[in-house]
Amino acid sequence: MNTFKKMVAALLVVSGSAFPLTAAAQAQSPVALSGDVMAVETSVDEDGNTSTQLVEPGVIVPGDRLVFGTDYANSGDEPVENFVVTNPLPSAVRLAPDADPELTVSVDAGETWGTLSALSVTNEDGSTRGAVHADVTHVRWTLASIAPGDSGRLEYPAIIR
Amino acid sequence: MVLEKTVQAFLEDSRNIMNKSAISYLCGARSSAITGARVASPIVAAFALASFGAQAAHAGGVNAGTLIENTATATYEDGDGPQTVDSNTVVVRVDELLDVTVTSLDSGPIGTAPGEAILTYEVTNQGNGPEAYELTANPVVGGNDFDTTVVNIAVDTNGNGTYDPGVDEILTAPETTQVLEADEALTVFVIVTVPDGVTDGQASDVELTAEAVTGTGAPGTVFAGQGVDGGDAIVGTTGAEDSAVGSLIVGITTVDLTKSVVVVDPFGGDNAVPGSVATFTIVATVSGSGSVDDLVVTDAIPDGTTYSAETITLDDGDLTDASGDDAGEGSDADGIAVDLGTVAGGTVHTVTFDVTID
Repeated sequence: MNTFKKMVAALLVVSGSAFPLTAAAQAQSPVALSGDVMAVETSVDEDGNTSTQLVEPGVIVPGDRLVFGTDYANSGDEPVENFVVTNPLPSAVRLAPDADPELTVSVDAGETWGTLSALSVTNEDGSTRGAVHADVTHVRWTLASIAPGDSGRLEYPAIIR
Repeated sequence: MVLEKTVQAFLEDSRNIMNKSAISYLCGARSSAITGARVASPIVAAFALASFGAQAAHAGGVNAGTLIENTATATYEDGDGPQTVDSNTVVVRVDELLDVTVTSLDSGPIGTAPGEAILTYEVTNQGNGPEAYELTANPVVGGNDFDTTVVNIAVDTNGNGTYDPGVDEILTAPETTQVLEADEALTVFVIVTVPDGVTDGQASDVELTAEAVTGTGAPGTVFAGQGVDGGDAIVGTTGAEDSAVGSLIVGITTVDLTKSVVVVDPFGGDNAVPGSVATFTIVATVSGSGSVDDLVVTDAIPDGTTYSAETITLDDGDLTDASGDDAGEGSDADGIAVDLGTVAGGTVHTVTFDVTID
């Protein structure tokens, strides 16, 4: 336990930011994932045009929009292949209706996957209905390969239930 | 603003959970107040995640204080075979939404008379966190024909929807409800006194207002640090206050009886002599906006006369002397009785019967 504490202490000394640990993880993995969350703030200008900005989450309450993002980077010297990023949706949010319709999602905790329009949900009485955004439990992105030095960003919009 | 981030470090043997550690710390506007760092075990983190499964969905949305945690996991293949890597976990805490509605539970104006009257309301926490509400009953509402005096505000302690004196708790100033959970509704009674001197058909409204104890204001007003678990509280679309009006209407119903008599003597005149027949007419006039129940018109047979059998009429229809077969019964000993039952205001009934002068 002492050793563990020392290790944490050492990490804290390095910096107050989250990234030293990411660097530590990269020591054995050439691929790093860095998650973040932003709130979507909508404002209306003098002409009545609405615009949205991504801001650090301030006060957030049900109905507010969030964008969950994951930055990935291959810092190794070899390409990685079959790169699949799976992101379970927190139960307190639902996928926003304006999410990319081509996004691969699951509505059954990752058992089956597809675009939302291709999935269905079984009702309690045994009948089925088309899946809707609020049914989504997971989102997934698949990249065939990431070349050394390449990076990118994956994100999905959500609304707090 | 509250934003927590957890960063997980994966040590060499990721299958050995004891080697998988997590540290978390607070960052953002309040981070200056945080001088230390918390060290959380993976087991604690697992419990926190498991509790999210029991998320209750309700009108106000997810509960204030709920932590929204998001982690992405990547699988890929490199020269060493299949690999897995997790992102850090981002955590956002849901703040407390302050919303309330008040509705009148009375289906319409409460019929009343001078004295005590009870109005019933429902206060519902439409927010997403526990909140108490301060209640104000205002008996002076524009358009009132008269104003009542508020005696007490009480809560429906036994939950039966009816005010039970001595059972239902009377709130003391400042009248404040207990803490209502998100979506919880509370039945509230306002006990008022209707003044003497009101007249039939006059109406009066009583307005009950509930204000969130944390604060009220324009939607979007923030009460920093006053939400659940030290999060913020923010005023929702209701302004964190609402009011509803309950109505009273005075229903005073009166019954007037007017009796008259016509005498016909055996000689075609109108002298009251032995053998003359006297026909009594009783007109019952019911006035007012309400109604009267169990209205029975009775009359004794005057001394020195004898009841003429089977002469009772009601509104020009004949009634028998026997009891139980219709509204009337009559006899020389007991007089006559006509049961009119429930009679609405604005109704007139006429009863007649004959006697013979001895």
